Amino acid sequence: TAAAPRPWRLFGAMCLLRLPRITQPLEKEEEEMAALMGQIELEKSHYSDHEIRRLEEEEQLRRRKESMYDDDDEAPGKTVIMAQDLEDKWEQKLLQFKAAPRITDADKNNNRTSLNRKLDSNLMLLVKQKLGNQELWLLPQVEWQPGETLRSTAERAMATFLGDHIQAKILGNAPYGIYKYKFPRAIRTEDNVGAKVFFFKAFLQSSDFSQAELKEDYLWVTKDELGDYLKSEYLKKVNRFLLD
Amino acid sequence: CSFSFFSSWLPQMVPFRGSHWQTSLLAFRASLPMRAQPMKKKKKVDVKREQAQKDRLKKKIKKLEKAAPEMIPIEDFITPLKYSESNRVRSLPPLSFEETERRVLLLKKWCLFKQKQDKAEKKAIQTLVEAQQEALKELRLESEELYQAAIRRDEGLLPFERDGPNYTPPLPGYDPPEGKCIDITKVYTQ
Repeated sequence: TAAAPRPWRLFGAMCLLRLPRITQPLEKEEEEMAALMGQIELEKSHYSDHEIRRLEEEEQLRRRKESMYDDDDEAPGKTVIMAQDLEDKWEQKLLQFKAAPRITDADKNNNRTSLNRKLDSNLMLLVKQKLGNQELWLLPQVEWQPGETLRSTAERAMATFLGDHIQAKILGNAPYGIYKYKFPRAIRTEDNVGAKVFFFKAFLQSSDFSQAELKEDYLWVTKDELGDYLKSEYLKKVNRFLLD
Repeated sequence: CSFSFFSSWLPQMVPFRGSHWQTSLLAFRASLPMRAQPMKKKKKVDVKREQAQKDRLKKKIKKLEKAAPEMIPIEDFITPLKYSESNRVRSLPPLSFEETERRVLLLKKWCLFKQKQDKAEKKAIQTLVEAQQEALKELRLESEELYQAAIRRDEGLLPFERDGPNYTPPLPGYDPPEGKCIDITKVYTQ
């Protein structure tokens, strides 16, 4: 029945992902394996120029210590930079450099509204929306209007909640998942059985949110923390298209 | 002629030559035109010779082009000779039995770990594809037009570029040390 209007209302939702900025910590097996690989590489290698220089200088030092009298006439006052000194210098320089911490302040405060949290995993945007008479935490969604594709609905949803200045790379025209639900019996009519929410995925490109005007409550959460906020059925469908 | 001016200028009487072709006074007065042979008719023979030379050159060029192009040497595969000297060989104590056992067991654990990881990844991709297929099916039930718009190819998606994650986040206000990188890789042309 192509002519009769379908009783489902369509929504387009956007799952905005902030990609990880730092690498995840290695598992135990991975660390052991990395150490083993390093050892094997060392065993199979030959000496490099720097190492040969260091060995020769050590030999010279040893010989000089054993026979103190002969070498005092050679090389008086000639300062030679030893390979060992170079290594010490480089070590010092490394210790002086202080890198940015992997666990940021936002991590320590568990401030779930900041983007600087959990830099090694994906963060998703959750917004509090009013559906019917309930206030729910959802991925930002907006009703589809005739005349636009679902992808533009999802873009509109993102723009409604985050403003126009967001740069996000939407991954393709096709939806990634769907959540279908029927309205409670009180609201249900012949023409309005329920709603279908189509999810789209996007990667966040810009990292500054100074211009974003977020009107409602928002959160940036990881996949594990989604369970704290989303309803179980919704969560099940959302988890299907999220890679950890 | 012009040399009369010279004779008046010089203080002494210097014997001068009648013309610049006359090389010495006592020698036979043979000027260049006299020494030359009669002009030969070189036109046609020259053209033929030049054409023959050009053909020979072209044949040589063709031969060179037909020969197989010389292979560009891969510098990574050629070990420089100075690294195969004997003093370079590392002298380390031989591995103990426990060490070899530990290594073998670790490699087996690693194999299992990687297999589990690979299976989990494949399963995740499978669920991803299934979820997408389900969504597209539902969309098709809704409206054909939206479905067609959804399965259209997104031209702006590929090529997709992204800088990978580092070990530490970027340090705000970091001033990297100055320096210039000079590229000394050898470039071969075929």
